[in-house]
Amino acid sequence: MTPSSRYWSAGRTFAWLAVPPLVFLAAFLVIPLARVIVGSFTGSGLTLAHYEKVFSAPVYTHVFVYTLQVAFTVTALCLVIAYPLAFVIANIRGTAQKLMTILVLVPLWSSVVIRSYAWMILFQRRGILNEALLSLGWIDEPLQILQTSVAVQVAMVHILLPFMVLPLVTTMMGIDHTLIRAGRVLGAGPVRLFLRIYLRLSLPGVTAGCALVFITALGFYITPALLGGTQNTMTAVVIEEAVSVFFDWPLASALSTVLLVITMGIYLLYARFTRGDLGMVGK
Amino acid sequence: MTAAKLGSKLTFENVAKRYGAFTALEPVNLVIEAGEFFALLGPSGSGKSTLLGMAAGFVPPSQGRILVEGKDISRVPPERRNIGMVFQNYSLFPFLNVFRNVAFPLEMRRVPKNEIAERVNRMLSMVRLSHLADRLPSQLSGGQQQRVALARAAVYDPSVLLMDEPLGALDKNLREEMQDEIKQFHAKIGATIIYVTHDQHEAAAMADRTAVLNQGMVMQCGPQSQLYEAPANAFVAGFLGEANILRVAEVATEGYAARVKSVEGIELTAARRTANGASLVACIRPENVVVSKTPLQNANLFEGTVVNVVHAGGNIRYRVQVNGSCCFIARTPTRREHEKHQQGERVFVGFDPEDTLLIPE
Amino acid sequence: MRPDTHPGSLMARIGNSALLVYAVLVLAFLMLPLAIIVPMSFSDQPYLTFPPSGWTWHWYEEVRNQPRWLTAAWNSVRIGVPVALLSVVFGTLAALAVTRSGSGWSKPFSLLVLAPMMLPHVIIAIGLYPTIVSLGLAGSYLAIVIGHTVVGIPFVFVTVSAALKNYPPTLDMAARTLGANGWKTFLRVTLPMTWPGIASGGLLAFATSFDELMLALFLTGIRTETLPRIIWDQLSFALTPTIAAAATLILLLTTLLLGIASLLGARRSRKGE
Repeated sequence: MTPSSRYWSAGRTFAWLAVPPLVFLAAFLVIPLARVIVGSFTGSGLTLAHYEKVFSAPVYTHVFVYTLQVAFTVTALCLVIAYPLAFVIANIRGTAQKLMTILVLVPLWSSVVIRSYAWMILFQRRGILNEALLSLGWIDEPLQILQTSVAVQVAMVHILLPFMVLPLVTTMMGIDHTLIRAGRVLGAGPVRLFLRIYLRLSLPGVTAGCALVFITALGFYITPALLGGTQNTMTAVVIEEAVSVFFDWPLASALSTVLLVITMGIYLLYARFTRGDLGMVGK
Repeated sequence: MTAAKLGSKLTFENVAKRYGAFTALEPVNLVIEAGEFFALLGPSGSGKSTLLGMAAGFVPPSQGRILVEGKDISRVPPERRNIGMVFQNYSLFPFLNVFRNVAFPLEMRRVPKNEIAERVNRMLSMVRLSHLADRLPSQLSGGQQQRVALARAAVYDPSVLLMDEPLGALDKNLREEMQDEIKQFHAKIGATIIYVTHDQHEAAAMADRTAVLNQGMVMQCGPQSQLYEAPANAFVAGFLGEANILRVAEVATEGYAARVKSVEGIELTAARRTANGASLVACIRPENVVVSKTPLQNANLFEGTVVNVVHAGGNIRYRVQVNGSCCFIARTPTRREHEKHQQGERVFVGFDPEDTLLIPE
Repeated sequence: MRPDTHPGSLMARIGNSALLVYAVLVLAFLMLPLAIIVPMSFSDQPYLTFPPSGWTWHWYEEVRNQPRWLTAAWNSVRIGVPVALLSVVFGTLAALAVTRSGSGWSKPFSLLVLAPMMLPHVIIAIGLYPTIVSLGLAGSYLAIVIGHTVVGIPFVFVTVSAALKNYPPTLDMAARTLGANGWKTFLRVTLPMTWPGIASGGLLAFATSFDELMLALFLTGIRTETLPRIIWDQLSFALTPTIAAAATLILLLTTLLLGIASLLGARRSRKGE
């Protein structure tokens, strides 16, 4: 009998509680993921053929590049749009703050399908935006907005905005204003105060929000599938297509593994410089 | 009415605690007698809470055994050890009122309902909180909450009661009041109490015996008077009240006494020594140091200047600089007929060899 | 009442009204889709126009009359409830293990539990589908429940972990010295202290399952078709306001549930000292 089992330990009992979720996730998350990775190498024996297909065909490399570009653009836009809003919410008092927070949360409470659908209605040839622009006389003919990259990115910004606002607000509400006051006492003007002190103090929220939005954007399916055209497909759409249209599971696995590696890479990069919980555990 | 169950004897046999390379507690051997009020005294990080945690069952020891009345309880989970525990933050259940809080342990032991009511009420009247039985903990003051915690921990007649700095969150006057309460409580219930504190006055006020800990080791164990008058080392001497401590450079035995030269060059005679080892210190309690304008009879006599005078409570505390870097602290009761000295005065300080101890560092 | 430490004064320095106007505009932008879908569900035109020319309950009647919508709604519910329950069980166990065991394995284990939140559902779907098939469960009720539980667990894990960290562990320790064993401590102390966190996590898991599309596409069969699946199918065929009506109803339900979840979350943070 090992010495440590001589003694009763609370910690040990609690550690055993991890077993059921561990078993469940091992069976239904780890093994499936392993299947995907292993499946990407199957053929007649172990092969890299599928990865060759992925990296040689311009179609697929274009999709990956496009996905990364969209994720980057959407993240940047979300940051720029959300930052001032988060600032207002964090620094305003009482009922106004509560109301604004609810208004940020409500869109999150409706599904991505519904929100993307609404953008479809907005962007249709006979949709609201076109009707409005026509009636204002700003254009002569309805614009083709659906099936463009712009439509996808605008809708994605809209859907992902709350994910940038919430971590920013959380961090900003924790900023110690005596630090700002100290800066003012030392003679800094509002611009310098903001740039050198406030911005830096809000950085944890910025990185958490950006990581969250970027990683989520990478894997987006519904919005690009509905609003993008065949020219502007993102990785998740291509993966789904590989399975449902081409029945090429190994190809889908290879594409998925690449996406997985990129996603994990971004996350590990983020986790290296921060606590790594995307601001979710232990607020 | 059953008589209060008497406490149990608790033994720490060679227990130690290591976290990887860090040792929180060196091997400790302590015997706490049945019904004793025993204090674990020391600064933070000294290992006293670790020791208490082991007795409770929350800190598994790295080695050794813990025995209650001779039986090894190391493998017994806390709920079966029949111990009571009072925490610094009270840890009352916020969702239960006072009555339900105190009744909780009895419910756990499946005591019949009418007996629960009787015992809870008896305990509440013992801590004088019967009129607050319906209140929630958030509606009580700190002192009241602590009394509820006490009642809850004792209502099921545990043989050992553990207290982890229970009065730390209270202000001074309340603390002293609660110290009396706990002491009386102890007399009424007769359990063995192990009390952790960093406040030596608290330990002195309540404990039968105290163990002084520092950096994971037990420095000394015994009644307060012994710890004060015969400290085992410089740490104990300095922790339990003030002491003049001089590092010893040379020692020479002369008959029954020792001639000592300190590192600052001060020579004195010490009549009591407890060790022969290498690094020793000379220790003199301030109340044994006399300050006077005229030369005194003491064998250890020095001339110096009063550097600081503090009137605190019933004492005057003088700080006299005797030699370059060396100061003696003297304390005299504030009495009408005693000589009083001013800052800057040239005075004599003296003390007897019998009051000068040589102890290890 | 204008001490310099108050954030309001910072606002004042930087340009109060401009920022507020901006904030309102952004919030309006966020509300846009809802402002379109809800009125559209009452429109009396069979195609999508805005603003609607007239008002009618017709599309809601369509939803009520078409058995496919009702079956899908029922499926979404009878899948969502077990998903919520299972997520609560697994998520709570995981949260207890991580916050109370102090083990060195906590960090990697947390990452594993949180992973489904970060991974694109399509990857989980194409991995899980063959596993389900090899278990002989293709298209079955159990399959989709399993799939949604995997993505539901992280939500419960996050809310319960937060609730556990919000009260001092000495409370559990006190209960144990008072005679409660592990299970009784959980039942009589941990649960009363954390139930809002558990409940809000469960509601989040339910809502996630209710709105989830990708795993549903892969794991549901004809008999277990969920609402998002039907909406998705309909979107490729006919864009009638019936979809808007169904969407509005779903919106009402999820708003209600998540509103309650948020309130429970706020209550927890007010209660914990």
